[in-house]
Amino acid sequence: MNNPPDDAAPPIQTYISPHATAPSAPRGLPKIDINDLSFFYGEYQALKNISLPLHDRMVTAFIGPSGCGKSTLLRILNRMYDLYPKQRAEGKVMMDERNILDPKQDLNMLRARIGMVFQKPTPFPMSVYNNIAFGIRLYEKVPKSEMDDRVQTALKRSALWDEVKNKLHQSGLSLSGGQQQRLCIARTIAVRPQVLLLDEPASALDPISTAKIEELIYQLKSDYTIVIVTHNMQQAARVADYTAFMYMGELVEFGQTQQIFTTPRESRTEDYITGRFG
Amino acid sequence: MKGREQRPDYGSFTVLKKGGVLSKVADSPVPGMTHELSTQTFRQHAFLDALLHNLTRVSAIIVLLLLGGVIASLIYGSMPSIRAFGFGFITSEQWNPVRDAYGALPAIYGTLVTSAVAMLIGVPVSLGIAIFITELCPSWLKQPISTAIELLAGIPSIIFGIWGFFTFAPLMQRYVQPWLISTFHGVPLVSSLFAGPPYGIGLLTAGLILSVMVLPFITSITRDVFETVPPVLKEAAYGMGCTTWEVIRNIVLPYTRTGVVGGVMLGLGRALGETMAVTFVIGNAHKIATSVLAPGTTISASIANEFNEASSDLYTSALIELGLILFVITFIVLAIARLLLLRLERRDKV
Amino acid sequence: MDRASTLMYRRRRMRNRLVLVLSIAAAVSGLIWLVAILAELVWRGAAGLNLQVFTQMTPPPGSDTGGILNALLGSAVLTLIGTLIGTPIGILAGTYLAEYGRGSKLSSVVRFINDVLLSAPSIVIGLFVYQIVVTSMGHFSAWAGAVALALLVIPVVVRTTENMLKLVPNQLREAASALGAPRWIMISQVVYRAARAGVITGVLLAVARISGETAPLLFTALNNQFWSTDLNQPMANLPVMIYRFALSPYPYWQQLAWTAALVITAAILLLNVVARSLIRTKG
Repeated sequence: MNNPPDDAAPPIQTYISPHATAPSAPRGLPKIDINDLSFFYGEYQALKNISLPLHDRMVTAFIGPSGCGKSTLLRILNRMYDLYPKQRAEGKVMMDERNILDPKQDLNMLRARIGMVFQKPTPFPMSVYNNIAFGIRLYEKVPKSEMDDRVQTALKRSALWDEVKNKLHQSGLSLSGGQQQRLCIARTIAVRPQVLLLDEPASALDPISTAKIEELIYQLKSDYTIVIVTHNMQQAARVADYTAFMYMGELVEFGQTQQIFTTPRESRTEDYITGRFG
Repeated sequence: MKGREQRPDYGSFTVLKKGGVLSKVADSPVPGMTHELSTQTFRQHAFLDALLHNLTRVSAIIVLLLLGGVIASLIYGSMPSIRAFGFGFITSEQWNPVRDAYGALPAIYGTLVTSAVAMLIGVPVSLGIAIFITELCPSWLKQPISTAIELLAGIPSIIFGIWGFFTFAPLMQRYVQPWLISTFHGVPLVSSLFAGPPYGIGLLTAGLILSVMVLPFITSITRDVFETVPPVLKEAAYGMGCTTWEVIRNIVLPYTRTGVVGGVMLGLGRALGETMAVTFVIGNAHKIATSVLAPGTTISASIANEFNEASSDLYTSALIELGLILFVITFIVLAIARLLLLRLERRDKV
Repeated sequence: MDRASTLMYRRRRMRNRLVLVLSIAAAVSGLIWLVAILAELVWRGAAGLNLQVFTQMTPPPGSDTGGILNALLGSAVLTLIGTLIGTPIGILAGTYLAEYGRGSKLSSVVRFINDVLLSAPSIVIGLFVYQIVVTSMGHFSAWAGAVALALLVIPVVVRTTENMLKLVPNQLREAASALGAPRWIMISQVVYRAARAGVITGVLLAVARISGETAPLLFTALNNQFWSTDLNQPMANLPVMIYRFALSPYPYWQQLAWTAALVITAAILLLNVVARSLIRTKG
């Protein structure tokens, strides 16, 4: 990581809207456009007027210290907060010309198009095969032979096939931690979403599994729009095309990863990246 | 979930024909990606979601209705007796089926006395066992004893009943009661407590059997409560050189006070309502005597023994009113126990 | 240490030892009685164990042959029907408390009421069923007995189901939702499956509880001297049979009572062991 020498640091500027300074979107409109989003736990405001684009088939990373709201922001994108009564969101999150936050939005359909992988691997208490078939069966009536193919494809794309091809009917819980997480990824991509949300996917894993997951992300990028939350800055630097730095519920800076890490515009960003806090 | 009531928004999918298969409409960048869904599936999901929600809610309400039903039916069945005897039912000692005159006092007295005996003996012993298991027991012995206690708690009460009838009561009659009578003979006040011919059966016998019954129950609750003490607290005390007893007295017991009392009250509730363990040995006499060696009756024993032979409607109603009184007593005890245990939980969450 | 503190120290050690002795005495004396009871049960009950006990009906008074077959069957039938009625209601209500109603007012009330029912004297439940079922049917019946047992099963199953479901981590639910699963699939295919062992254990414990219950059957199913499979009639069952036979003056009847008591206790202990081992292996 290069720290620009102090006398070359740009003067402190007032906050600039990321839309004005973001590089031109490579393929037209962003896949998901977050617009003036605020989020409340009861009376407490956890996210303050966030606006940023998530570009199609790019990896965007949310970074920031604990409690800055990055996971909260991620979980808004598939309306996960709907499971909990006291949480609400205001603003607009546009995907394919529809506002995700609209109460009329069908949640199951939304989650078919936006998949999520959690921090802690959560295999269902079923066989490896059924873990993957579970999601597919929610939406499609697929004959057995085709289901076998779909399962195999998903496992191959998650770099898990070779390790489990003889254990397809063993419980998903019998796999190692890294394998379980890849199973969760396979399960998620089996339903063919367009967007993948990854909430600190490797933080519970050992370094080798982490490397495998990062490589996986790199491969998946060609087909999916990926958003990843990570507290590991090096990971963001390795895998992400765009990075958003958040602090205390606000979006401090957004831009191409290289620019964020080499020439951050905001002093808070620079402080975080150089380890002065967080 | 929000939006369930309105027609679901299928996003960029369009319906081609009702009940049929939708063709791919999602113009996703991934070639060949299709979702084949039918409107039927969506409607099914919404229907089944609502069905499960309502089924579970109805079942929860059934639980409520059950209690309401029990209370209502008890009151309804007691009405004739309430009308006939009024409040005096609780204070009257009479019990005359021939004249159709009934009073609850001996039964209430017996219930309270047998439960008191059971608690007086059962609670200290249970505490002792719980202390033994949690603090003094070698670790290889802990699990077997705990499991043994749990299994013993599952022995049905009728076993205690017949054992009491065939073994314990004769024991009392032959050895314990004569000993008690002769020991306290002539001692002022106490002699009347242990007076009378040694029947073998009676309030004391029933109370003792009840104490053995209630033992595993209170022990397991108390042991669970003792285990909630954070080890750091105990270690801090041991680290200062406290003996085991001092740790128990100054750390464990104060910390678990609320839980232990709650557990004891649960045990009391159990003892109050116990039927089969006491019916065999209580003696079934609707009389109040000063001696605990005399036969008596408890509410549940009266009902068990007499309900099917009740010769008149008023008799039946009186027995139901006894049941109502028992229910009220146990309800109060349980409510207190629950409140205490709730306070314990809340305190731990802080 | 000077003399005064040595004295104090010695006193403290003595007090500690005294408590140790007392608690061991308590443990021994308490457990001794329970062991004695079990031993006598086995001794007396096994004395009457032979093939005819399991193959013949309950005999008339004064006879010295006969068995408990009809009571065995009757108990099995009553327990089975009671469990079949009570378990679904219990599981569904427990599901409501754990999945839909967390934090709602209705849930706290239901939970409290459930605890009351759980610890209510079973004879009072019997009275309730008597008034509702027996008086409207006009006579005692197996149905009434089964309903009474079901009412005892429900609170146990509600509580264990709720506790077991609550143990399932929320992340698992979120993972299912994130795939787009509707709530009913999330609960039935993921949560139930994860909590399966615990819920089954709860049901087994409920069955163990009702197998030995006498009081609620005393004036619902009553007892039956003969072989009967008619659910509309009183049905023979072990607990009430034991009650009647033990209190009778006939030695063979008393022997049958002991043997039947042994059979019930063995069955209940077995159920408990199975139930607990289920949790241990899955858990």
